Amino acid sequence: MTNNSCLDRRHPYHLVDPSPWPITLSFASVPTTVGGVLAFHSIRAGGLLLGSGLGMLLYTLFLWWRDVIRESTYAGLHSACVHQGHRYGFLMFIASEVMFFIAFFWAFFHSALGPAVESGAIWPPHGLMVPDPWGIPFLNTLILLGSGASVTWAHHALFAGSEKAAVNALAVTIWLALLFVLLQAMEYRDAPFTMSDGIYGSTFFVATGFHGVHVIIGTIFLICCAIRHYLGHFTPTHHFGFEAAAWYWHFVDVVWLFLFVSIYWWGGH
Amino acid sequence: VEDVLNTKTAPFDIRFPSTNQTKHCYTRYIEYHKCRKERGPDAPECDKYARYYRSLCPSEWIERWNEQREMGVFPGPY
Repeated sequence: MTNNSCLDRRHPYHLVDPSPWPITLSFASVPTTVGGVLAFHSIRAGGLLLGSGLGMLLYTLFLWWRDVIRESTYAGLHSACVHQGHRYGFLMFIASEVMFFIAFFWAFFHSALGPAVESGAIWPPHGLMVPDPWGIPFLNTLILLGSGASVTWAHHALFAGSEKAAVNALAVTIWLALLFVLLQAMEYRDAPFTMSDGIYGSTFFVATGFHGVHVIIGTIFLICCAIRHYLGHFTPTHHFGFEAAAWYWHFVDVVWLFLFVSIYWWGGH
Repeated sequence: VEDVLNTKTAPFDIRFPSTNQTKHCYTRYIEYHKCRKERGPDAPECDKYARYYRSLCPSEWIERWNEQREMGVFPGPY
């Protein structure tokens, strides 16, 4: 007699059940993008559309990932083979994000290595009060490096089955991450120049701004890992969600190092 | 006749080997003002930079840069 269990399949892969979340995500992207563009052009409806679109987007992602956790942690459908696939897949995603940042670094170096005659052929352009790299930016560098160390500590604690240490290490990482976000927000608020201040302003805020968004995403990812660990989802040998968060966090740290050296230090006075 | 026989332009500058000589013109203009700043406004050594930039640069650019200097908004150094 055969069971109707989906685990009667004779392969180690996970063929997911039909789900409404992919198409929901696409639909949620429409008000997000349209609202975003309207908001950039200062049209009132844009803000509302962007906000509701982002809300739909975030809720859909929550539902989607909730389903992934149900399928993996609760239903056990993530075999070693699936786990490997996820590792490769997430690494390729990070590689695509690296390419994304390379674009903005290229734009920065294009303008900073051969500055235009129209703005004096010097970098940084005359009259701009650029941030002192050895102030808050250097502190932020130390914060991110420290958080990279603490997330590695948390990983080793997970391997060793030291659950309490892992919670503490994750907490340290998250506090450092939030401190970085706070300090960077203060730098943005107190900056004497804006994104509209010529090519310097554009390259500075686009590169550091996208980095900041990635830090916020990484922080949320780490917070989700802390919650999941508290709920007992991770084992010493299988904790891909945590590994993905840690890889993403290291990537964010490396991007910051490049930002610090290129834009803040080399690109400053 | 002697003036015609003695006409020259700015010499080839290895720093600017390509056809586009914008940076060459701009650099000579800056070098002239740097020379004036460092050696005084009447130093004779600066004349050669003056001749170079006046040869190389379109007059509209020279007028615009000089106006920016007068208004205190010239974006370059010196």
